[in-house]
Amino acid sequence: MQLRYVFTELRQGLRRNLSMHVAVALTLLVSLTLAGVGLLLREQAQLTEEVWGDELQITFYMCNGANDRNPQCAGAVDDSQKKVITDALDDNKYVDKYEEESQEQAYERLQALDVEGVSGPDPVVKADDMWESYWVTMTDPHHSAEIIEAVAGLDGIDHVGDVHEVTGPILAAVDGLQSAALVGAVVLVIAALLLVANTIRLAAFARRREIGIMRLVGASTLYIALPFLLESLVVALVGIALSGVALAAVMYFGVEQRLSSTAVTQWVGWEEFFSSFAIVAILGILLTLVPTLLLTRKYIKV
Amino acid sequence: MIRFEKVSKAYPGQARPALNSLSIDIQKGEFVFLVGQSGSGKSTALKLMLREQRPTTGRVYVAGKEINRLAGWKVPRLRRQVGTIFQDFRLLANKTVAENVAFAMQVTGHSNREIRQRVPETLELVGLDGKGDRMPDELSGGEQQRVAVARAFINRPMILIADEPTGNLDPGNTVGIMRLLDRINRSGTTIVMATHDVQMVDQMRKRVIELEHGHLVRDQVQGGYGAQF
Repeated sequence: MQLRYVFTELRQGLRRNLSMHVAVALTLLVSLTLAGVGLLLREQAQLTEEVWGDELQITFYMCNGANDRNPQCAGAVDDSQKKVITDALDDNKYVDKYEEESQEQAYERLQALDVEGVSGPDPVVKADDMWESYWVTMTDPHHSAEIIEAVAGLDGIDHVGDVHEVTGPILAAVDGLQSAALVGAVVLVIAALLLVANTIRLAAFARRREIGIMRLVGASTLYIALPFLLESLVVALVGIALSGVALAAVMYFGVEQRLSSTAVTQWVGWEEFFSSFAIVAILGILLTLVPTLLLTRKYIKV
Repeated sequence: MIRFEKVSKAYPGQARPALNSLSIDIQKGEFVFLVGQSGSGKSTALKLMLREQRPTTGRVYVAGKEINRLAGWKVPRLRRQVGTIFQDFRLLANKTVAENVAFAMQVTGHSNREIRQRVPETLELVGLDGKGDRMPDELSGGEQQRVAVARAFINRPMILIADEPTGNLDPGNTVGIMRLLDRINRSGTTIVMATHDVQMVDQMRKRVIELEHGHLVRDQVQGGYGAQF
């Protein structure tokens, strides 16, 4: 196969349809960036759930004898009190499952949030200041009151944490942003598809004489289609690279420089960035190559 | 080399078929004129030979292959055995004469060495020796058609299909092109030529197939344009 002709045509094609290619690359930049932001928000929602527990959870904090809020607490919870509490949880039909968290585990989780005064040589808060707890997953979040009623008054219980109150607004905001980003991405993906289709049609029209001659002298379909495919691939790679830069800017200026200093939750990092960008890159290539393949088959039919 | 067996071709939305139960058999090395009025089915017959169209009914064989059954990916290989020339030359205006001729070899995967060797040979064969560096618009109509013949012939096809190749030429250039086609035919290439040129068909005294409203009305060895021959 003579590739010199293919690359000459590729160069000419890129130059001839420059304005259309720029339009496609810019549309890809915005649509892929939005898709990438949507993916990062999904990761963020998962991280927030991992840190705060999911929406179906309520937490029973037990007396620790150090900084209890409940005046009924008489020292740290003992094993017999814990037995009564777990029996009550086992018997409750609205409890799906529950997990026990020790003071050390609670302290580790707090350290992961990088809160001031927790880590360092002389921390203000120590593991002994944390409460042991039961993280209860409900079969139905509407019945949290029944579980709280059955357990909250038992000996050894200090206070009840309704995680839903904390995580609800955060998760709702993340969900809303994620939906908005994905809707925007879908609209722009459609625009990108139409632009790619138009570009191919224009390119095929501009080269109709060459294509006609190639068909008549017996050039293979792949050989005729190759300049179109490579043209689309180049534009896709430019769009993907630009969206990579934009996403990296979102990560650096948005997450690293601003959000990471607020310890509300654990924020997405570069690992999540690269996994989201990989999906965005595959999406970008599919978005341009699939319509190009389909349309070149149509316009240069042998 | 080319065989039509009761071939009919109907286009959607047209009341009358373009070809109606046409049966012809063209042997290797023949020179055949396809004559008839506009709309008689000549162009459709040529398109079927090139597999640009498929017959509605009947069978078409070209170079030993039944083209109705030919898979799409095999069509390019068939077309490398069939050269084509047209009334409007269909040259690439931004390429030189040599580049236009070389194009047919480039896009079918020939090496540069083959191209460098065969392009000057073919240009000499068609009488364009020394004009390889000219642009098409610097040539006369007759010379442009010679370039088209060179491009069609450079891959040494078994069959050459010519659709009104002298339609845009003056009598002098017409004679030149016909001599060239005759020469190519003598080298063993089968030639099928659709034409309206009465005088030229009468002079050449080759086989004539005449179509009328898609029907075969005459198939005459050493015929003329009209039935009186």
